[in-house]
Amino acid sequence: MSKKYKQTLLSGISRRKFIKYSSLAVGSGILASCTGGGTSSTGDEDLGENPIKVGVMYSTTGSIAIVEKSLQDATFLALEQINTDTGPWQGNGVGIEGRKIQKVVVNPNSDWDLYNQMSKRLIDEDRVVCVLGCYTSASRKSVLPVFEEKDSLLYYPVYYEGNECSSNVFYTGAAPNQQITDSIPYCKENFGPKGFFVGSDYIYPKESNRIAKAELEKAGGQVVGDEYSPLGTTEFITIINKIKQAKPDFVLSNLVGDSIPAFYRQYKDAGLTSDAVPIMAYPTTEEEIQAMGSEYATGHYTSFNYFQSVDTPQNTAFVEQFKAKFGDSRVTNGVMEAAYIQTFFMAQAMRDALQKGEELNTGTIREASRGQTFSAPQGQVKLDPDNYHAYLYSRIGKWNADGQAEIVFATPAAVKPIPWSQVLYKGRECVHKTPDDRSNSVVETGKDLEVQYLEET
Amino acid sequence: MHAYLFPLYYLAQEAATQESTEGFSLVALTNQLVNGIGIVGILLLTGLGLAITFGVMRIINLAHGEFIMLGAYVTFWMQDTFGMDLLLTIPFSFLITGAIGALVELTIIRRLYGRPLETLLATWGLSIVLQGVVKLIFTAQLKYVKSPPYISGNLTLLEDAQGSPAIAISYYRLFIVAVAIALLLVTGYLLNKTDLGRQVRAVTQNREMSKCLGVNTSLVDMVTFAYGCGLAGIAGTVISSLKSVSPPMGQDYLIDAWMTVVTGGVDKLFGILAGAFLIGESSSGIAYLLNDPTARVIVLAAVIILIRYKPEGLFTIQKRG
Repeated sequence: MSKKYKQTLLSGISRRKFIKYSSLAVGSGILASCTGGGTSSTGDEDLGENPIKVGVMYSTTGSIAIVEKSLQDATFLALEQINTDTGPWQGNGVGIEGRKIQKVVVNPNSDWDLYNQMSKRLIDEDRVVCVLGCYTSASRKSVLPVFEEKDSLLYYPVYYEGNECSSNVFYTGAAPNQQITDSIPYCKENFGPKGFFVGSDYIYPKESNRIAKAELEKAGGQVVGDEYSPLGTTEFITIINKIKQAKPDFVLSNLVGDSIPAFYRQYKDAGLTSDAVPIMAYPTTEEEIQAMGSEYATGHYTSFNYFQSVDTPQNTAFVEQFKAKFGDSRVTNGVMEAAYIQTFFMAQAMRDALQKGEELNTGTIREASRGQTFSAPQGQVKLDPDNYHAYLYSRIGKWNADGQAEIVFATPAAVKPIPWSQVLYKGRECVHKTPDDRSNSVVETGKDLEVQYLEET
Repeated sequence: MHAYLFPLYYLAQEAATQESTEGFSLVALTNQLVNGIGIVGILLLTGLGLAITFGVMRIINLAHGEFIMLGAYVTFWMQDTFGMDLLLTIPFSFLITGAIGALVELTIIRRLYGRPLETLLATWGLSIVLQGVVKLIFTAQLKYVKSPPYISGNLTLLEDAQGSPAIAISYYRLFIVAVAIALLLVTGYLLNKTDLGRQVRAVTQNREMSKCLGVNTSLVDMVTFAYGCGLAGIAGTVISSLKSVSPPMGQDYLIDAWMTVVTGGVDKLFGILAGAFLIGESSSGIAYLLNDPTARVIVLAAVIILIRYKPEGLFTIQKRG
């Protein structure tokens, strides 16, 4: 390459030009995200008179789209069943007391700031009564101030790190005590005392591993390694080498997204077997197993509230209906199930409020959501009236060659949620007053909180 | 503590804890460096296509990662519909991504020669479009590619006292390195020893003169760009077995590929081999001593400093214009 050309290449980029082009680039980026995030209400179906507007906020483009698209699918299935009087909604009539749900769908393009902007738009301009959405803790933290300031409601379907107790969010995924607390003693008893912790480098994996490490030390185990990789990394040579060197009895993985298949594949390729050093994971579900190929996960474990293999009539129906709508090759998993059941929690709360002759707003839906129960695919579940998290089962599944989990541990009933890890914050719990006055709801009891199960009624 | 002391602090802390537990293990470090070859192979493979489109043709191609992604999807599609073995799909992914590359050259790149900034914007837009199209066709779900069963297991170079491998590298990583080096040699041969290669170099050095001498410059441009894209396609196929296939997967490799090409210097193909080796081994070594995120920061910062003081890359021979 001639020097002359190089000079023109560099001198061509004057400061003025740089500003011009870079502002063009930024501008078109904003344009792209705006068009990508356009509101789309479903106009083709007949929604009858006076539909109820509900916001659905999941990213269908960008880096997290792979997971959030499935959550959106599960939510759409539930909304369709509510609007057509089918599935679990059968017997309630079409819609909610005759009023169908109009979904207002936004796509925040996996961009945390857009979640914030779009939730404002849903509440202020579209005037939705509540919002179903978010996946990562980063996006939840981004919208939380909006829902609190405007006093609106978010139903959030994801297992998360806890340490939150907002009266504007219903958390229908697992709290730490419904996912981490049972898995660590299981690992220590069945695999051995030495645990190696890996995770993606952001808030959820770090907090979740912090709780898990504390649980392991409390159980008398030993942390022999703690490594994080940048979100989206698919290169695990170094971490796997460190695992080999530390010789742990098990690996606890909080890797998320695209990193999961890459990690399991390279783990097996590097000669680490599930017999010798099994992986216990939280974010690894049926979908990721399908994406990596089941032979790479066989013999490893996941701790979750729900697996596709859970044996209940409700689950058989759910899996069947899901496949009928989205295709036979699709699988269901725990986060999708949570997205599905929270839609019914919301619908039941709206039904109860309307039956009492109340109008639908944050106050009435919040009060009616408290204590809702639902025959979910995972079993009988309930929204805790005190802390707005859900009573959920805690289960451990061992992956088999078909990409399904053999359930090796399950609690006898749904476990009462505790938003704070009791190893790190002994005795701290969350109690919202009735009716909710949005005052500080953190309660320090200073005592060991006992495990409470949901009683069948 | 000052921010810049943190890496040193971590290093000291890490060294101290390691000494107290198992002692600083030379064997483990060697193992890490041997495995760093695996990273070098991937960098080389993903950077090679860029070495053609940027190094030879001077096209700032931000859609390079998407051509890698297209190669991976070709493999997924052929496995899914015809049940083909991964290795058998390599020529197809080369041809199909090459053909798409040719189409892109014809419709977009051709109109933008000598206008690097417009090219940059156009290829960036192209990367968004390609991701969107693939998402529409294959959905956003992660896809899975079967790896060839006959390239599995590990090559053990040294066993420890218990008989378990202390220094080992997986055969698939070695296979990637072999493919990368083979492609590098083929490319070097094509570029330096064939008529087409001479024409390519003539056109990029002096387009007008080449045209006067009877070289079909537009054909040469198209073939060269298509070849670069085809190489990216092969990279996608080979890498797809290590991870899962998804529309944004190419983004991961774009920055690494650029770092490799820029560090090594764009004039010589040898530069990319050197660049890949330097970046792969240093990030692997630093990641072992500290951790992955820190290693990435340090290596990226080092590349930025390098570009500041040696914009032509480390391994460039000074020539006259």
